[in-house]
Amino acid sequence: MNALLPEKTRFFPLHEKHMQSGARFGMFGEWQVPLYYTSILEEHEAVRKRAGLFDISHMGEVWVEGTESLEFLQRLLPRDLRKIKDGQALYAPLLNEAGGFIDDVIVYKFQDQKYLIITNAANTDKDFEWIQNHLSGSLKAVNQSDRYGLLSIQGPLSAQIVSNAFGKKFLDLKYYRFAPWGNGMIARTGYTGEDGFEIMAECSELSGVWERLFQSGRESGLVPVGFGARDTLRLEASMLLYGHDMDDQRTPLEAGVAWAVDLEKNAYIGREALVQQKKKGIQQRLAGFELLDRGVPRQGYEIRMGHEPVGTVTSGSYCPTLKKNMGMAYLNAEAAAPGTGIDIIIRDKAVHAKVVAMPFYRRQKLS
Amino acid sequence: MNFPKELRYTKSHEWAKLSGNKVLVGITDYAQKEISDVVFVDLPKPGQAVVRGKPAAVVESVKAAFDIYAPVSGKVTQKNSALESTPELVNQDCYGKGWFFEIELSSCGEWDELMTSEQYAQHIQQEVR
Repeated sequence: MNALLPEKTRFFPLHEKHMQSGARFGMFGEWQVPLYYTSILEEHEAVRKRAGLFDISHMGEVWVEGTESLEFLQRLLPRDLRKIKDGQALYAPLLNEAGGFIDDVIVYKFQDQKYLIITNAANTDKDFEWIQNHLSGSLKAVNQSDRYGLLSIQGPLSAQIVSNAFGKKFLDLKYYRFAPWGNGMIARTGYTGEDGFEIMAECSELSGVWERLFQSGRESGLVPVGFGARDTLRLEASMLLYGHDMDDQRTPLEAGVAWAVDLEKNAYIGREALVQQKKKGIQQRLAGFELLDRGVPRQGYEIRMGHEPVGTVTSGSYCPTLKKNMGMAYLNAEAAAPGTGIDIIIRDKAVHAKVVAMPFYRRQKLS
Repeated sequence: MNFPKELRYTKSHEWAKLSGNKVLVGITDYAQKEISDVVFVDLPKPGQAVVRGKPAAVVESVKAAFDIYAPVSGKVTQKNSALESTPELVNQDCYGKGWFFEIELSSCGEWDELMTSEQYAQHIQQEVR
């Protein structure tokens, strides 16, 4: 069970700290990442009930700067970036000409001519190359993924902990807004379905940020959380994971994120393909399901309706908060409506399941 | 880590306990820690024949599925149905309430080939290294 590390293995700036905290590690792309510190189930619950701190320094940071930044991003991305103000962030698919996902990213507007794009680790080099190949004029794109680390604090107590650590103003920071902090920033974003913040800091500052958050939050139950619980939390919140729930063969219309593409907007990469696909209708779409019999769904499992194959599982797990085995799958249109009975094929056995609406979990908001 | 002296062990981290010609099977303390939070166990049915070294059950953690191998060949006489509703017993009490199934031993020679607790402890040390 103690496999040798692949030749090209990358370590987090805080790797030592994670080792001292008792982390068990696993590979995520080229990165050796903490899988869990005590138990995936305990860490999952901590985030739902209190707060958890994730190191997600594998994520990429690409800056776009120059007088034509906005025009460039309008061509690059399928959403209307004129709608965001300074200090605001936007989730967006990054699409190829066929409308397929190169990645999904978050764009942060620092000022009129300065934007940050946070990318998925395994896609960073590919995204950066794509961005560079589409640049024009005096526009500059800089990949500073090695300069920055990213920490994410998530859970109902995270606002209190962040405001104690970094200042009261973060209590009032709205969802998908951010404020510069040091040479980085603090954003009210996350990947768990809970309230939370993501903190981008230079690698040399990261240890200090980690310590400060624990000084502020340890007593209220803040714990470090690994990638195991990150996956179960995002699955319950039905957030997509690149390489599982979407890739370059799938479009946002198929992946159920049509809200993140603006078909009214003019000329951007992938628009024509999306317009065509919308006209023709989609064959398969991403749907959620829960198992009615015993079993755990995993990526790659076949799905049938009667004897007919109707799709494939893209993500699946035991969902600790909901205490159900659930997943996401690309299903033929006729099988994708909530309530439809399907079978997941687990080790050659058909296990009954039904299609359910997403997200599986939605937090209760106080206000 | 705890490897009771009265049990025998496999390289694939199952334990076996002999009483009469029946062998009770479970997974070791090392295995349950490595697997971590067990959320699902799929057991062989009583009457089913199992073969030494071949998969006989499946245990799944939040992250992944693992095969559990039969330490000896024979016919399954009982399974621990409690694991179907409370799979966490595997983590909580791997040598007690977290047992998997019972086999009627078909050849005594196979029993003698299993590792003692000392041998198993050495095997783990090599694996960890």
